[in-house]
Amino acid sequence: MTSRRLSAYIDAVAAGRRPRWRNGEPGPHDVAVMRTAIELRAARPGDSSPDKDFVRELHRELADEFDPSQPAKVEVLRSHRGRAVLLAAAAAVALVGGTVVVTEAASHSGTTNVALQAPHVHMLRIGTFENRHGQVLGQIVVYQGHPSWVYMNVKAVNSYSSVRCELHLTNGSVVAAGIVHLQDGEGKLSHTVNLGPHRLRGATLYGPSGAVLGSASLA
Amino acid sequence: MFAAPKVSRTRAQGSSTASGEHSLRVLNNDTYADWESVYSDNIDLLYRSIYAKVGNRADAEDLTSEVFRTALRPLRLDVSKREVRSYLLTTAQTVLASHWRRTLGVSLTSIDAESDRLALIELGQTDLPSDAPQRALRILAALPERYRRILELRFLEACTIKEAAYAMNVSVSNAKVLQHRALRMAANVGEEVEP
Repeated sequence: MTSRRLSAYIDAVAAGRRPRWRNGEPGPHDVAVMRTAIELRAARPGDSSPDKDFVRELHRELADEFDPSQPAKVEVLRSHRGRAVLLAAAAAVALVGGTVVVTEAASHSGTTNVALQAPHVHMLRIGTFENRHGQVLGQIVVYQGHPSWVYMNVKAVNSYSSVRCELHLTNGSVVAAGIVHLQDGEGKLSHTVNLGPHRLRGATLYGPSGAVLGSASLA
Repeated sequence: MFAAPKVSRTRAQGSSTASGEHSLRVLNNDTYADWESVYSDNIDLLYRSIYAKVGNRADAEDLTSEVFRTALRPLRLDVSKREVRSYLLTTAQTVLASHWRRTLGVSLTSIDAESDRLALIELGQTDLPSDAPQRALRILAALPERYRRILELRFLEACTIKEAAYAMNVSVSNAKVLQHRALRMAANVGEEVEP
């Protein structure tokens, strides 16, 4: 006869809920049944991949925890497509110089006004990501300011959920620019950098396995 | 500072599991540039490994987060990718064991023999490593038809007990009894099926 506790545990496992077991340890027979239920549930097709929002959110939290040199604001920008578009607009306006004031409608925190001092035209560096077949994978814009910013968009890179970008300096050094999270094959990244655009030579995109997907030379 | 454990075994490129279902490639000895590379290269593998052992997203996400928070701080980046992955899986093993101790008092599942094998698998392939589905299907295949069907409906096809009862043309209480007996038999079969 099955106990209610075991029955409730199995129901939770079958439904994909977090199962609870209260009041004492299960016996060996119950353990075997619970283990089997978990094994069968974990085999449900299509359920074993991590949720993209979870991956993004954990990345943001870890960045806050392990990379305090990056302002939290940067991480927020990195994780929301709408806000990345905001920086895209800022980068675009930077082409003509002047001060940009943009209004961002954040879903959870109301409306925020962000003032960005746009730099002069000669401080911009622009490049196009291309793979070895010459196919365009995206663009990168770097402009000088306090701080300097790098903005990039990436498009149609196979079926990856994210790609990694590294910046190449004129002295041969390599600096990690960050991870571009892709949705439907597209993604954007906005990031502050602690170096001037004049010190950058180009950038490279890498897939999850470390394979080079494409590169850009900055003009 | 953590010194990543040595992988005790290596396999040549293109070798496969005992079942021959996965083609493994030995990770090269490149190092990770930063923690973000470690994260992006291993988040999928770790989540899937943990999910296969807990069977629900909420626990899998909590434990995956705990693994990275525990592992990243003392992690050295001057060791090979293979050693980093082995270290992450060892951390996952510990985190999972602690989870069962805390929530159940006994160890229900563990990341154990898989660790070395998983540490050698290079990501970038869409068919990621988990023998859980294959093993589950082998267990189901060994059951009588009605036992197999009730478990398929409940665990693989996302049916409630009412829906499963309706699909099998039995009462809800009969479906519950059937499910329980089927799980008992599946547990016995599972002990004889290779991991």
